[in-house]
Amino acid sequence: MSEPARLRSSAPAVEVKLPLTQVLKIAQEYVNSGRIQDAQELLRAAIRAAPRDPEALHQAGIVAFQKGELEHAAELIELAIAVRPDASLYLRNICSIYERLGRYDEAVAAGARAVQLDPLDSNAMHNLSVVHQRLLRLDEALGYARRAITLDPASASPHLALAELLLLRGEMAEGLAEYEWRFRVPEARRHLPDIDRPQWDGAPLPEGSLLLIADQGFGDVLQFLRYLPWVAERCPRLVLACGPELRRLVEHNYPDLPVFDRWDARPSFAAFCPLSGLPRLHATRLATIPAKIPYIAAEPIKASAWSARLQTMLPHGYRRVGIVWSGREHPPNRSISLASLAPIAALEDICLVSLQMARAQDEVAGYFGCAPLLALGHEIADFTDTAAILANLDLVVTIDTAVAHLAGAMGKPAWIMLPYSPDWRWLLEREDSPWYPTARLFRQPAPGQWEPVVACIATALSAGQAMRAT
Amino acid sequence: MSVPIPMVRPNDRPRDPDRCACGSGLRHARCCGLDLDEWPPAAQAEHLPPLVERAIQALRAGGGEAAETLCVAVLELAPTSLDALRLLYQIRKTGGLRQASEALIRRVVALAPNDVGAALELGLLLMDTGRLAEAEIHARNSVRLAPDIAQAHNLLAMVLTEAHKPQFGEHHYRMALRLSGTRDPILLANLAWNLKNQGRMAEARQLYEESAALSPDVPQTLLGWARLEEADRNFEAAARVLDRAETRFPSDARFKLTRAVLLGRQHRYEEALAVLATIASRNGESGLAAHELLEKGALLDRIGRPDEAFAAFEAGKRQGREIGGNRYYAQEAELLIGRLKAFFTAGRLSILPRARVLAEAPQPIFILGFPRSGTTLVEQILSAHPRIAAGDELPIIGEITATLPRLFESPLSYPDALAELWMADHADGLDELRDYYLRKVRQLGVMQKVGASRFTDKMPLNETHLGLIALLFPEAPLIHVIRHPLDVVLSTFSHDLTHGFFCAYELETVARHYLLVMDLVEHYRREMTLRYLPVRYETIIDDQEASVRRMLAFIGESFDQNCLNFHENHRYARTASYAQVAEKLYDRSRFRYRRYLRHLEPVVPMLRPIIERLGYTVDEVP
Repeated sequence: MSEPARLRSSAPAVEVKLPLTQVLKIAQEYVNSGRIQDAQELLRAAIRAAPRDPEALHQAGIVAFQKGELEHAAELIELAIAVRPDASLYLRNICSIYERLGRYDEAVAAGARAVQLDPLDSNAMHNLSVVHQRLLRLDEALGYARRAITLDPASASPHLALAELLLLRGEMAEGLAEYEWRFRVPEARRHLPDIDRPQWDGAPLPEGSLLLIADQGFGDVLQFLRYLPWVAERCPRLVLACGPELRRLVEHNYPDLPVFDRWDARPSFAAFCPLSGLPRLHATRLATIPAKIPYIAAEPIKASAWSARLQTMLPHGYRRVGIVWSGREHPPNRSISLASLAPIAALEDICLVSLQMARAQDEVAGYFGCAPLLALGHEIADFTDTAAILANLDLVVTIDTAVAHLAGAMGKPAWIMLPYSPDWRWLLEREDSPWYPTARLFRQPAPGQWEPVVACIATALSAGQAMRAT
Repeated sequence: MSVPIPMVRPNDRPRDPDRCACGSGLRHARCCGLDLDEWPPAAQAEHLPPLVERAIQALRAGGGEAAETLCVAVLELAPTSLDALRLLYQIRKTGGLRQASEALIRRVVALAPNDVGAALELGLLLMDTGRLAEAEIHARNSVRLAPDIAQAHNLLAMVLTEAHKPQFGEHHYRMALRLSGTRDPILLANLAWNLKNQGRMAEARQLYEESAALSPDVPQTLLGWARLEEADRNFEAAARVLDRAETRFPSDARFKLTRAVLLGRQHRYEEALAVLATIASRNGESGLAAHELLEKGALLDRIGRPDEAFAAFEAGKRQGREIGGNRYYAQEAELLIGRLKAFFTAGRLSILPRARVLAEAPQPIFILGFPRSGTTLVEQILSAHPRIAAGDELPIIGEITATLPRLFESPLSYPDALAELWMADHADGLDELRDYYLRKVRQLGVMQKVGASRFTDKMPLNETHLGLIALLFPEAPLIHVIRHPLDVVLSTFSHDLTHGFFCAYELETVARHYLLVMDLVEHYRREMTLRYLPVRYETIIDDQEASVRRMLAFIGESFDQNCLNFHENHRYARTASYAQVAEKLYDRSRFRYRRYLRHLEPVVPMLRPIIERLGYTVDEVP
């Protein structure tokens, strides 16, 4: 590339000319050092100078993707593909972007073409596997995941994809084995600190203490706390490292278990194990999921304080329905908006109690539904509050997030709204969950379709369907 | 809130650029530009009093111009000469120059704070221009200065009656009667009006009868009496009083307006319009006054002539702006709302205390909403319940925002003065404010209803202070009445209202204030846990029983059939909606905007986002 790009430095009078290839290299260096904004500006200048240069367009698309500007990213890479329709790299990347945008047909087409052009590209195989998983075409998804692993056995992402596919189908043995790759995917490296002790193998550890690490999200921690009694039978000396949000709830429910929430406060230990590793060590199968429910209870003092408060703040004689509609960005596709719960909000004789935390709780400001809504996000200090509130509700309607697990662990009725392609622990098709007997699952009938889910819940609610607690 | 009102009154004399804009006739530097610190009251040349004396004599002899010239001359030399100021005030007042009169009498009050006469004049002037909070300050001051003068109590009583505190007003009317030592017919009529505002119709009627017997030719008395009968749905009696008044005062337009209102309530719209037409023809070019125009618009609306109705509303509001000098205090509104948003944040609210709930005290229910949203209807429905008393538009929250800095000994104003709650000696300040509120409620006689344990406070725009209310009464139900924004804006524009920083004088300023307040409510809802229930006016019309059941459940009371027959609730609502809530539910006000869409075009774009957020649409007439 010899065509020079005209660059404007901050002083508008000065123009520096550099070859485009060099500009792209600098932009890549910016990206590598986390200077996304600078990279984007540089690439914009490059595209102004060379509007049809596919490399510049593609690179700008990747940068836009990293900034979360998915639509824009797709547009840029589409332009690059228009110039160079046989670049498998572009096709492989746009496959992933389309997938994130929920444009699955286009994603499948691009991914298939990428794989066709470069049958040895493990990443393209993986991307295509992910798209098929979103469409619940599990045979195809498994096939591509396995081919990706064959092509690059040391790459963690296809292994984790395979694990999730197998677990989703209930194939626990192989699934849990593959699930061990989860700490090796690039995005997950920071989930565990560097530890100079061995990872526990499940064998009895009568002497030294075992450090359990509450890894993954809050929901995972709540789900896997059920293994504590089983672990304690093998390792009498346990300690748990977990976040401050969960610490008090764990301490209340496991009073003999020392808990700490700062890594530098850890006691000495002989071995460690992430909580999410326990199902494999326990050799859990669908039929042997430990489900001694409830294994989490609210603090009685807090529960009665919230009982009194809710008695005052909520209409009498109305069913109390907790709601949570948004979670962290990952996993994708699981969050909805409060507004999309409108059919539930239109019901008589129920009142809504929002347990929503973080930015999404701002949405209550625009709620004008018929059912009274009490938003408690600002009054929830940690999960002991959430548990104490749940203890006083008839039901919680929630997306796949920590509150679903907490309600399930407490044996409270939880109606869980799931995306078409759910997280592995919710399995396929069934309305119930072997993990949580009081959970009822409401699944999207097709990707992206929340309306039928909400409509089903509204129908079930208005029919006054049993909201049995254990 | 107190806002200075600059009057725009066309001066009939050619403008002198040096003269003060207020119209006093003085130079600006000797009038509104005067620094009183540089001109202490004592700084008067000794030779000037004779000039003032000459001016007084000139005025008595009918030489207004000469008197005026003399006063201006004296004030040029000694701008703080009280006698000259008082005299020029009289001249300007007689000449109808309100802005000048106000500037002059304010100067007298500032220079002579113990002058009861001046305090009374200023209080009256402020009351007449709707600035009740400030009027109350001067009226109270005149009672302090002269507790034995009947006029002082009379003024305070008038202000309190207008300011939604008729129970306090009654106290002062009775004081005035006692001090005057006679059954003064004017005082009797004033007290009658006060009692009418408390819904004590029979007592009021008796007093009007007594007053009219003593002094049959006082138009104000007959006017008040006629309006009492009209409000009490005693239409024939009202007509009789009007007949009697009109034989005595055939050219008094106020009786014609009242007649038109009366005919309107009897659904005799064409006749009502004909009565208004006689006022217009008599007035010639100047046509109808603001109130008459608004009534004309309301009548035209009822007979399905929206374009003419809107033209009448517009003309009425134009008069309110041009002659009344009313305008929206946009900057003040934005400043206050900005400060409220900056103060009431989740972070601060999580560490601010809340007032303790007193289980044994009467429990408030706050009915919130923009004026003309249906708050009166909701109060009328709820107060038909045996356990709920009607508090009406209680001015107490507004008063608390004004007195809070003083109570908290704070150098800051509301809301920032709430920062005193961090101080050891004001840590229980919210309990103190809660008690202040409950004490006023008690004094206002709100809880007279036997068996009631709750009461409503439906002061419109109390939602501006939602944060403060939730600090004082963290468990009180907050019922926010929502109505199609275009209906709210249209209805506010077609009524004479001063709520909301005088926003009601232009369509666009109503919309602007509506947006500011709705945005503020959303802010509060984002930042704090509230026991908040939005209730749609339209839903109450569509499905009254379901709405009533929901509201009562939300409040924590059992359902009561009386709430469905609220129009039989014989309580008289003081506000502009009184005639409407005495009828069964009707749906002619629902989506009224559709027939006015053409006229509402200027505000549709700015309101569209909130219309959609509230779940409404903008529709043409079906």
